[in-house]
Amino acid sequence: MDLLQEYQRNVTRRYFFSQGSHALGWASLASLMGRAPGVAGAEESSNATALPKTNLQHYVGKAKHVIYLHMVGGPPQMDLFDYKPVMNDWYDKDLPESVRRGQRLTTMTSGQARFPIAPSMFKFQQHGECGMWLSELLPWKAKMVDDMVFIRSMNTEAINHEPAISFIQTGNQVTGRPCLGAWASYGLGSLNEDLPAFVVMVAKPTNTEQVQAISARLWQAGYLPGEHAATSFRSAGDPILYINNPPGVPTEIRRKTLDGLKQLNELTLQQLGDPETRTRIENYELAFRMQASVPELTNLASESEATLKMYGDEVLKPGTFANTVLTARRLVERGTRFVQVYINNWDTHGNVAGRLPSQCKDVDQPCHALIQDLKQRGLFDDTLVIWGGEFGRTIYSQGGLSKQNYGRDHHPRCFTWWMAGGGTKGGTIYGETDDFSYNVVKDPVPIRDFHATVLHLLGFDHERFSYKYQGLDQRLTGVEPCRVVTEVLA
Amino acid sequence: MRFTELLTLGLCLLTISSSRADDAIFYNRDIRPILTDMCFPCHGPDSAARKGDYRLDRREDAIGKKVIVPGKPDESEMIRRILSADAEEIMPPPAIKKTLTAKQKELLRKWIASGAEYQAHWSFIAPARPELPKVKNEAWAKNPIDRFVLAKLESAGLTPAAEADRRTLARRVNLDITGLPPSVELVDEFVADKSDNAYEKLIDKLMTSKQWGEHRGRYWLDAARYADTHGIHFDNFREMWSYRDWVISAFNRNMPFDQFTIEQLAGDLLPNKSLDQEIASGFNRCNITTNEGGSIAEEVLVSYTRDRTETVSQVWMGLTAGCAVCHDHKFDPLTMKDFYSMAAFFNNTTQAAMDGNIPNTPPIITVPKPEDREKWEAVSAALKEMRAKLETRKKEARADYDKWLAEAKVEQLAALIPTQGLKLHMPLNEGDGKALKLIVDGQERSANVASGFDWVGAGKVGAKAFAIKIGDPLQIPEAGDFEKDQGFTASAWVKVTKRNQSGAILARMDNDNNYRGWDLWLQADRPGMHIINKWQDDALKVVGKTPLQPNQWSHVCVTYDGSGKATGVRVFVNGVQQPVDVEADQLQSTIKTNVPLTVGQRSKSERLQNVVLQDARVYGRALANSEIEQLNRTPQAVELLAKPADKRTPQEVNELFDWWLVTMDKPFQELNGHIATAQQEEIALKSRGTIAHVMNEKSEEAMAYILFRGEYDKRRDPVKPATPAALPAFPNAAPKNRIGFAKWLLQPEHPLTTRVTVNRFWQEVFGSGLVKTSGDFGITGELPSHPELLDWLAVDFRESGWDMKKFFKQVLMSNAYRQSAVVTREKLERDPQNRLLSRGPRFRMDAEMIRDYSLAASGLLIPKIGGPSVKPYQPDGVWEAVAMIGSNTRDYKRDAGENLYRRSLYTFIKRAAPPASLEIFNATARETCVVRRDRTNTPLQALVTLNDVQHVEAARTLAQVVLKIGGESFESRADLLAKRLLARSLRSEELTVVKGSLAELTAYYQAHGEDAKQLIAFGESKPDDRLDPATLAAWTMLTNEVLNLDEVLNK
Repeated sequence: MDLLQEYQRNVTRRYFFSQGSHALGWASLASLMGRAPGVAGAEESSNATALPKTNLQHYVGKAKHVIYLHMVGGPPQMDLFDYKPVMNDWYDKDLPESVRRGQRLTTMTSGQARFPIAPSMFKFQQHGECGMWLSELLPWKAKMVDDMVFIRSMNTEAINHEPAISFIQTGNQVTGRPCLGAWASYGLGSLNEDLPAFVVMVAKPTNTEQVQAISARLWQAGYLPGEHAATSFRSAGDPILYINNPPGVPTEIRRKTLDGLKQLNELTLQQLGDPETRTRIENYELAFRMQASVPELTNLASESEATLKMYGDEVLKPGTFANTVLTARRLVERGTRFVQVYINNWDTHGNVAGRLPSQCKDVDQPCHALIQDLKQRGLFDDTLVIWGGEFGRTIYSQGGLSKQNYGRDHHPRCFTWWMAGGGTKGGTIYGETDDFSYNVVKDPVPIRDFHATVLHLLGFDHERFSYKYQGLDQRLTGVEPCRVVTEVLA
Repeated sequence: MRFTELLTLGLCLLTISSSRADDAIFYNRDIRPILTDMCFPCHGPDSAARKGDYRLDRREDAIGKKVIVPGKPDESEMIRRILSADAEEIMPPPAIKKTLTAKQKELLRKWIASGAEYQAHWSFIAPARPELPKVKNEAWAKNPIDRFVLAKLESAGLTPAAEADRRTLARRVNLDITGLPPSVELVDEFVADKSDNAYEKLIDKLMTSKQWGEHRGRYWLDAARYADTHGIHFDNFREMWSYRDWVISAFNRNMPFDQFTIEQLAGDLLPNKSLDQEIASGFNRCNITTNEGGSIAEEVLVSYTRDRTETVSQVWMGLTAGCAVCHDHKFDPLTMKDFYSMAAFFNNTTQAAMDGNIPNTPPIITVPKPEDREKWEAVSAALKEMRAKLETRKKEARADYDKWLAEAKVEQLAALIPTQGLKLHMPLNEGDGKALKLIVDGQERSANVASGFDWVGAGKVGAKAFAIKIGDPLQIPEAGDFEKDQGFTASAWVKVTKRNQSGAILARMDNDNNYRGWDLWLQADRPGMHIINKWQDDALKVVGKTPLQPNQWSHVCVTYDGSGKATGVRVFVNGVQQPVDVEADQLQSTIKTNVPLTVGQRSKSERLQNVVLQDARVYGRALANSEIEQLNRTPQAVELLAKPADKRTPQEVNELFDWWLVTMDKPFQELNGHIATAQQEEIALKSRGTIAHVMNEKSEEAMAYILFRGEYDKRRDPVKPATPAALPAFPNAAPKNRIGFAKWLLQPEHPLTTRVTVNRFWQEVFGSGLVKTSGDFGITGELPSHPELLDWLAVDFRESGWDMKKFFKQVLMSNAYRQSAVVTREKLERDPQNRLLSRGPRFRMDAEMIRDYSLAASGLLIPKIGGPSVKPYQPDGVWEAVAMIGSNTRDYKRDAGENLYRRSLYTFIKRAAPPASLEIFNATARETCVVRRDRTNTPLQALVTLNDVQHVEAARTLAQVVLKIGGESFESRADLLAKRLLARSLRSEELTVVKGSLAELTAYYQAHGEDAKQLIAFGESKPDDRLDPATLAAWTMLTNEVLNLDEVLNK
């Protein structure tokens, strides 16, 4: 295992296998990888270009792909999923100390003289066979609760955005560790050499009142080899940075220069014998094929009328959430392992009434469409869809409280996530919170349990799935004990 | 799975065969890696994780508990346990999911049988200068480095490669010294120079170029985690570049490394510190900071100190100290107590937790432009002298003052306060009740305000002052409605009772109409002014550079001359004009608005808190500086004079005296006038210059708390500054501060500093350090490939006076460095990673070098050194995708002109979205210290050099050069192209390929004129219109092809 890791760390130095035409060569590697050695040069190069299809799975996972929809800012669980009718009697009463239990607050509300309870202003109804209570803001989710797993007892340690989002993405509040997607890319490898294994997309919310910072560090590879960082798919300009040829350079001209380049590099390889030159030659060919495959991928107009309609009116507008999740489905369909989507503006410190409906409208229908779409294409069982923010929100109001409006501060002690597909057991409602949606009272799911569960679905034992760094077997789930939440698995 | 197994097997065979050099067992080589992996996590230095109180990392502990019985493996508990079949007994326990191989078990047994000798970890023993080894091929060894390298090669049965040809060598050495490709002339000159020391002359010449400092500095900036934004949340601009320029200059001055160390770790503490030394202390100000709302100050401060401690440990000692934040280090002798004691050195700065989202988070100092330095010093000296004179006059004038005081009248004084154009006056000192006195246009009236304020004590003008609270705003509809071409002034006494306040003090501004109107504004305690028609396209915004002192009364005044320009806005604090930042400077349209003038906020929001006010005034004209001075001082004087003489405290008498000096005493006033003039000049110099973020110690003694599991709120024992117990003792004479710490690092007996430093330098040249894990010299780091060479270099470096240029010259002069990079099959098998240096260094250049190479080879590069960071080409949306609305680094506004073509180390680094084209080539985001970058080889990189406008524009620019001065024939043009990009001519088979490419490209662009025009118009610079577009387009793409050669991208 360690030796293999060592090999991967040095993956750019493929000295074992290639030395021009002399040594083992790429054809042999291809055969080691369980493929027939290429007969034609083109085929050989096509096999040779991508990273070896290393697959470090400990067992066959049910999920081959993940689409992870991160709601940046932290949605208010009690306005969406965590129904607390008792709170209606508590309107504008103070949060009892017996509930808060001295828990630390952010400095945005720690100075408040009172912590008046703000019951959710939205109506809730029960749905499906599982009987999940959902807010009126989520009419599309209501149609498919029996395909979904709701975890109402998620909890985290961080209380502000930057550490919290880092924690849920990388298992550590301090930045610099690999994120979940990088781990998946590292462990599973690629299914399509013309596309990245791990892609990130940042969707634009309609309302932008309280957008939070995110940063490229969230999709970095940390101590894992650099190629496991996400490739950014963008809604404006080139979908992948620099994917388009310069103006006045059609594909045929690019091909001609690449042909010349390849011949010249082959001469260099003969001259110096550096195996890295071989890798470079292959990477230029791969880049060329990527250039060809991306326009096809991003051409959403080629989807059927019915499909587009399912995702709603905004689907063809670049950068919308609908547009982004449809692209995510197309990526997954073509073999991308992990698609990370971010959508911002869930940080409802104030104006829940004004903002939350817009946020829900942005995501509700597209999420429904995504799951129906995956089902129709037979991808649902293979693809794990995850939805949630970095923490929850307080039952008490931040700032002014009225029946018509209120705000909510950050709350780490409980929040709701949902998952679907990829080996999860549809119609599961897991975990319970107290009447105040303040503390977990049953089946808590700390972040590391959640990570362990996702890794399990991908075919990894979280305790063994590690990477040697600074002498330690580093794991996504860290050193504290944690468990796979088997209760939510199919 | 088949692949994995085969691969693993293959690797095992390889590893074992290479370690079978001899049968002796060495603890450091054979045993420690096994124990480290399998045993130490539970039976090592970390006391918290230790199981069963067995400790195997120290021989005496292991023997004491009979875990190891030297010479008797069968009596050793260790052997019994590792061989046990009982799941309860076997070690390692099944739960940790690691198993010993039969081979490893056998090794442990043999080791115990042979006496179980331990060895101290090599890097904790101070290096001594080793003997030069004997070699067979004496002639090859040009200098001591070569003897060590050759000895190793000979024992491995390898021979060194021949020396690289002169052109290759010229290119290589040019890249290593300057980071840039050589000029054609330089290479030709070197090739033609037949003297014996031609190569040395080349090195000497290159080392005098200013690009030396840029290139070396660039590596250092990775370690120092230098960037241009704060890093977290808003990730706003940080004006930090004076530190970057200090680094470049330090290398160019060839500052000895010991001094380089002391100044960066403790420049602020040095006696008679120079401006430069203080700038150097910015090393410890480069860490990421936050201003996220809701953050808990202590949590944030703990993370800053931790980052500084980890960075210093990593850079100077190659220690992964971060492990000891939460527990004793698992492998290295570094306890939690060691970590926090070391952290105490860096835990005593006056820097606040919140960065304020401002570019100049205190503590900062002013840094004049280099060309203003002399003037700056002259002005500072003159001011010092004049202030001394002022003091003298003050002493002499006391008698005159006493005489005046006996006869002075309140009315006379009051008349000195400017009243002309006074539109609104609010004393804000009633002291009780809800009715406030207002004087509007000379008419007194009162306003009742139900809530939103409090009367608090210790006023400046009157006993009680107006503290702004949440609640109803005080509004005066008839005041302050000005037009954009009308001068006006707003002032107040202001006391900020908690740091970092932002909001409006006085405003007539309509939130709902694009902020139309004006305000007197606090921005993270810095006073300023907005004058707005429509934010932010039609608006002025000017903010003072210096924050108000917390918990002190300051007289704040902003005045506008109606010019519609930011230069027409002046900001005063306590009567002194402030240097300012202009954040908006475009006002064309009306600023009139119907919303009332409001105290403490704008019409709807930006409400202040933790701010106390008195004596607020609005004038319908711009006041002169002297009037502002009066406004600052006189109202209080009136108050004081109105008091009966026997009720004045001595302090009040003195305050009145100060007032009298300024306003009534001619000699004092004259001197003061000179000072004001000099101050004006000082302000001008300040405003032209930049600032430096510096370290600044608190007055109390440094300390830190041990934090349980590293958590900020789980404090355990307090600790004083101290260095780790396992390393040499702290020098007795050294102070227990950062100076002492730096000196401790530089002691001859310190085992790490020299080794770690020379290893990092070696890595810059050879791509990999002698210790490959250049950031980890601890037990889990890799062993050095050439331990004796490393020690020799380390000692030699220190004894040479820490001379960095000398060090690099020695390396570059070695035959080891000069070898050709040709790889043979034999070398690939026996020295696959070139760890034995069986050939010359060849590896893909770093991100910055690749971009700079294109710019330099094409002639686009602007060789200017230093200055503010620049924003060259970057695809749209890279910043916008991640940044917060309101962040001042949200919209990437690319520069124009020469800033597009500066060296990459001047490219603005936004940490949340580092420069896209550089990041793809493994440039770091500079969030944390990085001493060794990844070096990947990916298709996304190919896309950058093929398609990025800066590379295509460079290709076109170089094509123009080739067409204009490369002669008329294809051959002569191709030759110039190759010489600029490869430092050599093309070989005939290459020429054939290039010719073929050009023919196809030319045919295409001749047939597609529109494409040709589009291609050559790509980039900001204009194509040369004397050249035929089709020809230029074809040569542009040919150049693009050659620019992408493996040989170009590699050193």
